[in-house]
Amino acid sequence: MIPCTDFVPAYSELFKFLEERGGKDAVLGFWHYLSDNFLGNLAELVGEHGIRGCWLYWSHTLNEEAADFTMELDEEKGEFTLTMNRCPSKGRLLEYEHFEPYPDYCRHCDVLYRRVLEPMGYEYLYDMSDCGNARCQLTVRRKGR
Amino acid sequence: MARETMSRKGSDNVYLHKDFHGALSAGIDYIDRNFGEEAVREYLRRFVRSFYAPLIEDVKQRGLVALREHFEEVYAIEGGEVKIECSDTELVIRVAACPAVKHMREHGYTVARLFVETTRTVNEALCEGTPFTAELLEYDDETGRNVQRFTRRGR
Repeated sequence: MIPCTDFVPAYSELFKFLEERGGKDAVLGFWHYLSDNFLGNLAELVGEHGIRGCWLYWSHTLNEEAADFTMELDEEKGEFTLTMNRCPSKGRLLEYEHFEPYPDYCRHCDVLYRRVLEPMGYEYLYDMSDCGNARCQLTVRRKGR
Repeated sequence: MARETMSRKGSDNVYLHKDFHGALSAGIDYIDRNFGEEAVREYLRRFVRSFYAPLIEDVKQRGLVALREHFEEVYAIEGGEVKIECSDTELVIRVAACPAVKHMREHGYTVARLFVETTRTVNEALCEGTPFTAELLEYDDETGRNVQRFTRRGR
């Protein structure tokens, strides 16, 4: 079996495999498929709790992934911000000396969550400018405020 | 209307996010649907050859004990009832219920039709270029209960 602790390199290799088979469209197609079929819990939480649903969703995943992060929730402003000081996934990929990661690995975080949240009436702002150092920031904001 | 902040260091938690099994299963299902069964196996072989290259080298150097140590670590991380028997020529792993399949079933994730290949093809690929060969003797799709055997080639 592949342990869940080796999932990130397995996914990185999957993105490389798909791109070789069908170009970037194949990778994007998979991310859309994953967003539509795997992130139902994010959609349910946001549907039930509003912006707090983001807090609940990422509280679970980031603690299990042992991330180094700060999350801020302001329900009055309708805003959720996640500052990733050290992404556990990208951080791992940077540490492997024998394994070449998919160069645009971090892009899936932009595609997957945006696809869920924007149709629900939220802006999704994702700053990937420091992804090369396993750092990023995302903001989810209720539209029209 | 609340304002809340949460900060965590990486060392505050243990890295164990079992929902990743569901995501890997979704990936396998996607390849199966779009590129076919053999593409699933090819993807897994390529992953093993690249990511587990140091382990494969270790198997060439130290033999089955390297695989035994690898799987002891894997199942210690994942939990589950496992019996591992190892000699110089044979390694047998008996898994009462696959921890990945168990997690997916309990949490409502779809288990891909070819999820079995994360055991069968992965084990076969781990043996490529080594004096050993892998067989999946038993596998139950519902629970992932299985018996894996690695033996020296030519026996």
